[in-house]
This record gives sequence, structure tokens and C-alpha cells, in this order.
Amino acid sequence: MGKPFVNKTPLLTTYDIIVVGGGHAGIEASLAASRLGKTTLLITMEANALGRASCNPAIGGLAKGHLVREIDALGGEMAKATDATGIQFKMLNRSKGRAVWSPRAQIDKKAYSTYMVDVCTTQPGLDILEDEATGVFATPDGTNITGVTTKKGVVFSCRALVLTNGTFLNGLIHIGDKSFSAGRINESASVGITESLVDLGFETGRLKTGTPPRVKRDSIDFSQTSVQDGDANPEPFSFSTNNFNPPNEACYITKTNPETHSIINASIEFSPLFSGVIKGVGPRYCPSIEDKVVRFAEKNSHQLFLEPEWTNANQIYVNGFSSSLPEDVQLKSLRTVPGLENVEFIRPGYAIEYDYFPPSQLKASLETKRVKGLFFAGQINGTSGYEEAAAQGLMAGINASRNIDNTDPFVLGRDEAYIGVLIDDLITKITDEPYRMFTSRAEHRLLLRYDNAHFRLSKKGYHLGLASETAFKQTEREMALAGKTEAYFESTYIKADDINALINAQTKITESQTLANILKRPGVTVGQIKSLLPDWINALSPTLLTLIATNTKYSGYMARERQQVERLSKHQKMAIPEGVDYLSMQAVSFEARQKLDKIRPETIGQASRISGVSPADVSLLIILIKKFVSRETH
Amino acid sequence: MQPFVQDTIVAISTPPGTGGLAVIRISGPQALETIKLFFTRAQDLKPRYATFGKLNHPSLSEGEFDDCIVTFFKGPHSVTGEDLVEVSIHGGAYLQQKLLEVLLRAPGIRAASAGEFTFRSFLSGRIDLSRAEAVADLIHAKDAAAHKNARGQLQGNLRVLVEDMSKKLIQSLTVLEAELDFSDQEIEFSPPDALLTPLKSLQTTTEALLETYFYGRRLEEGIRVPLVGAPNSGKSSLFNLLLGQDRAIVTPQAGTTRDTIEKSVIIAGHSVLLIDTAGIRKTQNDAESSGVDRSIDEIEHADIVIFVEAPDTEAVPNDKLINTPQITVFNKIDLVNTPPKNKDVYLSCTTKEGFETLRDRLYQQVINMINNGVEGVILNSERHQDVFIRFRGQLSVCVESITNELGPEYIASDLRLALDILGEITGKTTPDDILNQIFSGFCVGK
Repeated sequence: MGKPFVNKTPLLTTYDIIVVGGGHAGIEASLAASRLGKTTLLITMEANALGRASCNPAIGGLAKGHLVREIDALGGEMAKATDATGIQFKMLNRSKGRAVWSPRAQIDKKAYSTYMVDVCTTQPGLDILEDEATGVFATPDGTNITGVTTKKGVVFSCRALVLTNGTFLNGLIHIGDKSFSAGRINESASVGITESLVDLGFETGRLKTGTPPRVKRDSIDFSQTSVQDGDANPEPFSFSTNNFNPPNEACYITKTNPETHSIINASIEFSPLFSGVIKGVGPRYCPSIEDKVVRFAEKNSHQLFLEPEWTNANQIYVNGFSSSLPEDVQLKSLRTVPGLENVEFIRPGYAIEYDYFPPSQLKASLETKRVKGLFFAGQINGTSGYEEAAAQGLMAGINASRNIDNTDPFVLGRDEAYIGVLIDDLITKITDEPYRMFTSRAEHRLLLRYDNAHFRLSKKGYHLGLASETAFKQTEREMALAGKTEAYFESTYIKADDINALINAQTKITESQTLANILKRPGVTVGQIKSLLPDWINALSPTLLTLIATNTKYSGYMARERQQVERLSKHQKMAIPEGVDYLSMQAVSFEARQKLDKIRPETIGQASRISGVSPADVSLLIILIKKFVSRETH
Repeated sequence: MQPFVQDTIVAISTPPGTGGLAVIRISGPQALETIKLFFTRAQDLKPRYATFGKLNHPSLSEGEFDDCIVTFFKGPHSVTGEDLVEVSIHGGAYLQQKLLEVLLRAPGIRAASAGEFTFRSFLSGRIDLSRAEAVADLIHAKDAAAHKNARGQLQGNLRVLVEDMSKKLIQSLTVLEAELDFSDQEIEFSPPDALLTPLKSLQTTTEALLETYFYGRRLEEGIRVPLVGAPNSGKSSLFNLLLGQDRAIVTPQAGTTRDTIEKSVIIAGHSVLLIDTAGIRKTQNDAESSGVDRSIDEIEHADIVIFVEAPDTEAVPNDKLINTPQITVFNKIDLVNTPPKNKDVYLSCTTKEGFETLRDRLYQQVINMINNGVEGVILNSERHQDVFIRFRGQLSVCVESITNELGPEYIASDLRLALDILGEITGKTTPDDILNQIFSGFCVGK
């Protein structure tokens, strides 16, 4: 698969930044670091597996699609790779408002990985080493990172280290009552990193995730399934993708039935999830089939999606059938499903347990609070999902680089990006299951749309030194046009008769209205009122015009959300000094003291978002911190 | 307490109840703009100078409301470090309350939380740490003290009620959020009616709660019972009889009581403010005329009115008081043989004949006034009333969005704001609370 990997030589023994792990987080971290001019080493156990999609063959989806667009606006790689290797593109939530539309693509897993190998091997300043990091080094007092050691016995020193170990740290795969050490199926686990981090004082935990069986395409009777195509006019993920004309390969839907469920129920004791063998907590939003059957016993059927893993693949991903039941039970139950009566496995589904490091040990920059120069990104932080991983990798790469330059960390607010929500959630929560992004996590959802990610972030990406000048200038031009057009919509009145002729209102409009008010009516699209618009507006690209119309549609709500952001901003950024003794704050509630002591927030804003810390607790905290600061300075 | 808010706060800074003077403070960026709406000499306001003038605005009263002295402190040279306005008015309970209520309706103004002025002083570095810690103790002590008195008891019930109301909102929100975040999966979504029903029930609860506020204030300040009648109908004698002491000056000359006199008694466990008013009649005497105006004012803001008439005086028309409970008293029954019909009580202050009947009547009226509240909750603080008024407004926005069939993302935004408003009483609802509901209620996950 892919082209043969050639190690670039000579390798140095000292790098500015070392990244461990070549998954979605590691790639973005390595590319960002090297693109920002830092000598960077990416250590991966299998160089040909860069960007390997270990689970479903898809990028994006609700809220995740937003993350990919933001990564793109900031100058990351994931969106471009998806556009280049996607085989089916679909805009989700199309029947709802634009704020919650989200792009999703089926990708060709092999092509995706090959694309990433190409990009990484041709990136100046980035060296790639096929080896396994087995330990980290810090200064004797444990406060600064100094380097890593590898399985082949080489020691590298660095000024910043980004760990993106995914599910590899002490990974343990379960299939029925069998369990064995592995990082992914047919790949070794990684041993040593967890232990050396624990030696440095880090707290670690176990999480669990799973993946469904892969089956042979030619063993499926597709006539028993329904076809699900992508969009006829697909939209690309990247703002810089032109001439977009991707394939549109079908996926297929079928359903389980009571017979499937009874086979699963009969063998439930062999599932390590139910027998108590698996200790790690799994994600509730991505339950195994046995979980679904037991927890939602009243449902007679669950949907299964059959997704091709790459173009012309004889390998199909059975989305919705994640399982750690014994292989024969998986096969027997799956064969009760229409179209899958004669299905054959390439490999069964499995569950995997792995070490993670509760992300409350991180700062908003993704640097650890304990050891300077050490950054964590991706599943090691208890997240799930390629997109969540890539977003963290990008931010960790950027901040590792800024750490070396002694510049302020790059931190995004909850009102600026889903990436901001993601990282703020991670560092202020006590995670008890793998974290996935949802649009409902964003309190300013209507501000954070997939289509305005470049408006929100291009400038930042450009000033960071990652996004191209062309993209930045283009965005600036579009923003100016948008401002002008929105003002025109607000100030131009249209006669009632002209409006009634175009839109089919339940009750006829009797008075003239601004274009803005017409657009705000439920169901009215900018396409319907094109004949009312001047040529200079109709000449705008359809994508831009739709974005502008969407701004107008949501303008009242967006203004309200911006007001809320302002109301909350007074103390959000007030810094909490290190070393505050929370446990002695008798006036603060017991639960809040415990949580604050564990999480040790960097700002009052972070403190206020920790569950169990009430507004009254925060008020007291502000007072006590002022006291602490004044005592320290006198 | 809302520590992050930069908005403008208002509160009565003098102790509750009637006093000689009352001071209302407004602090924050809108302070000056706000007083300009009401103060006749706003253009003369200079930082750190007291300016005498009048409060005059249709929402306060027809004609002038009261004399006042307004002192303006320009931030940061004020005790809170922000623009600060102090308004001194006469200390009548009604005057204070009315002015506060009207100010709270001004744009960008909300009621101050306990200790918030001092808290802002600390944040702006205007007071030292020892005082700030005293405030910290105050905030902390709120719950402990709450358990000690009946008011705190009521607040405990309030928390339970508000949490219940939040749950209803979260239910509706859960349906919408599931629809937005898991639309690619098999989830049966609810029709608009399922969203509207809990909101309608919340609207009913909110209205009922706001109705208790009036009673809640009366619990704090006393039930207002003016004695009203023509001059020399014997109001002051009756007032003294009800008090059991000679508080009011009683003389045979008509028009002796030129101002109102208040005194509180306990009836049926409630504090009742008996108010002796000037007799109502056309008068040429200026001092007496202002007393008469005050009497009419008292009638309009009374909870129970005792109308007193006597054989030698005319009856006072009560057409302004359709909804106010009233007791009609025919006094000096010892002077006539055939009293008029249809009076509630026939009484003689001299012989005390009929006095027991009056006491029973009054007792019954006070009992009738008692509002049992909503789930045992009676609103008695301006801050809570302020929260529920805003909540009621936001509920209407939610209902309107659903009725107009706006998309779920709009309705969710509206509902979240409503939840945030309730959260000012019980603490914030987090996205995790909603996701937990989704995960326990729907089978999601491909």
C-alpha cells in the first residue's frame, strides 16, 4: 500500500520539536511545527501508515466537519487530504438551518494515507523515523522536557515534545474471551511511555473503544439493502480546493432484526464488556452492538451502514456493528441481517483498551502543567475521532513552536472556534469517557458555522505563519463584500407586491420590507429573491452569497450571542497564579475545592466552567486570588 | 451572584421599610443615562455634587413623583469604581418600591445581588481586603442564614421549584439537540406540540409565581390597611382603638389628621400596617390638601381599605377600588336609631359596640389575602422578581419561535437563554446535562 517509504538522511540527534505518533494528531503537529521553521522529527512505528484511518472510512460529520474546516482555515492539512481522497461527499443536516450543516466524506483510506505520506516526506524541515519511542527524558528536577529514547536504543534531545500515541499505550485488544497486547489490529502496542510519564508524576487512566468487523464485498447481496449516495453537487472541505469533482461511490443501509438480537443476547456473557473483563470506559455515543441490544431492549432493529474502505475495495466496513463478542457470535448474528446471509469476514470487530492521561493536567496550550515543553494531543487526552485528534495536533504543533520562540500560546476562545470549545472542555472536565465533539457543546453555535470558518480564523492562521497569503487575501476580500452586501440587505426596501410575487407566504405581505427581513422569513432562500438583487450582488459566487444570506438570516440571534460573549468576558481572562492553595479556602464549597485542586485552572473563565464550581464559588475565588496576589507582591 | 457581568445594577441602599429618607443607588455604565430619564435637572449634574430636583416620569406617576437629591460620582472616582448615581427620596415604602420597580425596567438595568456593590468596590480596588472578606463571609453566610429564618425556608423551596422548571426546559432542549447532533441516525423526533406543552405549563407557573411577589413584599413590609373616610367620621378614634393606644391625635374638629400616620399590628400572624389618613373632602387649606392627596394615593395602593362613615358625615365614593378588598364601617352607631343598610360593620368607638365584629372581619380579610404560593414558593426579593420577569419574556420568545416554525437551531438558542436566566437562581445548566439526557433517552451511535 502506498509508495515505499524512504527515510530521509542524515537524521540529527537534536531537534527543536519531536512528535511521537504518525496518526491524525501527529501529522498536523509535525507539519505545523516544521512549517513554522522548527527542525522537527516525527517518530512512528510504521512510516507507511501515516494518517491510517483505524476505524471508519470517513472524515467530518456533525460538529466534526466544523473542526476540519477550522483546521483548514488555520493552515492544517486534513481538509485538503479529504478533498483529494474522498469518494463520497455529503452535507449533513441539509434540511435544517445553515448553522448546523456539517460536511462529511467517505474517504479512500489507502489514498488518504498515501497522500499524507507524500506531504510529510516532502515537507522541508521534517524528518521521519521508523522506530518506537519508549521513554521520555526531563531535567533532574522533572520540570523541563529534554528528549526521548527509542526501542532501537537511540536517544534524541529536543526543546519540545508532542506525544500523540493514540490507542497504542499498553493497548489491549479484546475479541470475546481472548485478549492480546496490540496498538491496533496487527500492530504492536507501545510500552514504556506511560511508565516514564508516571515516574514524572502524571496521573493515567484506561479508556476503551471499539471497531466493527470488516467484511468481503463480494459476500454481500446488495439487492437486499438500500443505496445511499452522496450529494450530486458536493462541496469541498478546504477553502483552497478548486475544480472539485470527486467520485460519488455508494454506501448501503441494512438493518438488524430480533433474530440478530437474540443471538447476541444468548452469548452476552462472552462479551468482555459485560463479563467485567474490560475496565476502561467506552463512549456512549458510539456503543457496541451488544450495548445497544441490552440497553435499548425495546428496539427491534438497528441500522447498519455498509461503507467501502477504498475505491474498488473488496473490504467493507460494517458501521453500527462495533463489537467485542467472540468472532463466531459476531458472524452468526451478522448473517441474520438482510444482504449479509452469506457474509464472510476479513477480520472481526474488536474492543481495545488503552492508557490515556486525564487532560485536566494540561494548559490551554496543550502543554502539560507539570513538565515544560511537553505537549499531549489526540486520544492520549481521552478524545475520540480523527478530527478531534487533528485539531489538537495542529494546536500542539503551533504551541510547541511558540513555546520555543517564547511567544504567548495560541489559544482559541469558545466563541471563536469549535477547536476552542474542544480544548477548553478537555482541560476543565473530569473526563470519564472518550470525548467527542457535538454542536450542542458550543454555547455560541450560531456564531460557529462550518461556512464561516475562514471568516473566523483565516487572519489568525495567516498571522501564525501557517495559512497562505493568497487564502488570507481572498478571505479579506470576501469579508469586505459580505459587509457591503449585508448593509445593502438591511437598507433596501422592496414593495409588498414584488415580494408576494416571489415568495409564497401563508398570509400575504401588505407593507414594503427590507431585503433582510424577507430573508429572515422561515423557508425563504436567497435563490428565490435573486431577481430583486442588483447585478453586483448576483455576480458573487454562490457560496459567498449563501454565506451572506445566512449571516442575515441569523443576524438577530448572532447579535444576541455576541452580547452574551461580552457580558461574560470581564473576568474570563483573569489569570489564576500557580500554587494557589484551594484546599484551605474554607468558604468555597467542599466539592468546588476538590475539583479546583485537581484541575488547577489557569483563568477564572476556566474555573467557572468546571462542573460543581458555582457562581458564588467563583466570586469567592476572585476575592481570594486578589488577596493571594497582593500577599505575594508585598 | 454574577461576578462577570458588566451591566448596571440598582438597589435600595437604606434599610427596608419606611424611613425619613431612602437612598437608591445605581452603579455601572448605564447609571447616568438611566437617571437622565427621570430627573428634572439631569443637565445640572456634576460629578461629586448633590443636585436638588424632582423625579418626573409618566411611568412613576401622573405629575411629579417626589422631590429628590441626586449625587453623581464619575467612575473610577466612586465607591464602586464605576459611574455611580445616588438618589435620595422621601422614605415612604411605596415611593422606594415604585422607583425601584420603574428603574428595573430601564434598558440594561438589573437588580443587584446581595453584597454586589461592595463586591464591585473590591474588584475596582476601592476598598481593602478586610472589608472584601467581610463581603465574602456575607455571600457564604447566605445559605447558613437562610436556614435560620422563614425567608430562607421559602428560598429552599424556590430552588426546588426552579430546578423542576429547568428540568422541563432541558426535556424540550434534549429533543432539539438530539435532532441537531444525531440527525443522521434513527431517532424519532417530536412534533412541535411536544415542545409547546411543557413551555405553556412553564408560562402558567411563572405567571403564578409573579403574582406571589406582591404578597411576598407585603409579608416583608406589612399589609397596608388605610382607614378612609370624610373628616370627623372617627377614623383616628378607630385607629387608636385598633392599636389599643392613643397614637393619633383625636379632636372633635374636622380635618385634624393632615398627614398619614402608620402603625403596625399583628393580625393572624401577619404584620398589618394600619394607616390613618386625612379626611377626604374638598379643602382650601394647602397643608390639608396635600394630606388629602396622600390619602387618595394610599387608597390606590392599599391591600384592604376600611371605609369609615358616620351619621354626621358623607360617605366617600369607592369607585376606584373595584378589586381591593374593603370593609365598610358605619361609625357612631350610638348616635342614630336607624342606620343605613348594607354596611359590613356597625360600630361605636365610644361604647366599643361592634368592635369585635370589625376585628373578625379584618382577621378574615387578612386570612383571605394569604397566598399559598406556587409549590410553597412566594417571591419576596426584587432580584427574583427581576429574574422571573425576564424568564417570562424569554418564554414568550421561545413559544413564538416554535409557533413560527423556526428551525431547531433557533429554538435551541432561545431555550438555552431561558435556561441561563433560570440559572441565575440555581446555577448553570451545562451541555453535559443535556448530552446525558440524550444518551439515556436515545440509542445513538452508528
